[in-house]
Amino acid sequence: MSQVEITKQLDARGTYCPGPLMELVKGIKRGQVGDVIELISDDKGSRVDIPEWVNKMGHEIANERLEGEDYYIAVRKVK
Amino acid sequence: MSEQIPSLALILMSEDLEKLHAGSLVGSVASMSGMKVNVFVTMNALAPFHKKNFDEADFKYGVVGKEILAKKIPLFDHLLQEGKDFGEVNVYGCALAMDLMEWKKEDMIDVFDDVIGVTAFLGMTNNAQVITM
Repeated sequence: MSQVEITKQLDARGTYCPGPLMELVKGIKRGQVGDVIELISDDKGSRVDIPEWVNKMGHEIANERLEGEDYYIAVRKVK
Repeated sequence: MSEQIPSLALILMSEDLEKLHAGSLVGSVASMSGMKVNVFVTMNALAPFHKKNFDEADFKYGVVGKEILAKKIPLFDHLLQEGKDFGEVNVYGCALAMDLMEWKKEDMIDVFDDVIGVTAFLGMTNNAQVITM
């Protein structure tokens, strides 16, 4: 996979649903179109919920990986 | 004809902390997913929104609510406020129940947009998806 340039990383580990999603929503709202926001979450629900939200809102998943219990998702702001 | 924004009407009736939490969570996430959310707080659900009860954490709860409080995760007020800050969430107190309790908007925690009657709420939530807790 090609390297993705991360604009900003948000660490939401230790927060419960919907904390990680809220962090990402804030990050996306404050960012510019084209920015890539990477969220780290150790809340298991995030692995399903976050991609669902990204697709619903029409943004793009630039990268996704699991490191132990930590879920990393990089989201490109499309609009 | 212009496309209508998907809308959610959330009616909170119970004072159970878990129901307030679940309802506020659904409303908050719905607003961040592009829905317009109108929340009607009525009957016993108004009690935990009263400043005195809220400040004293005088809530009714079961096993999950106990953990919500013990782990100090953000409560329903915070969930609703985040929905307001990052989406469209309007919160209304029920005029009838407020009158019965002799409570005013100022007696309540600062999430209420207004105190309204059922007719006004129904007018706002025409064609909305309805969730009652």
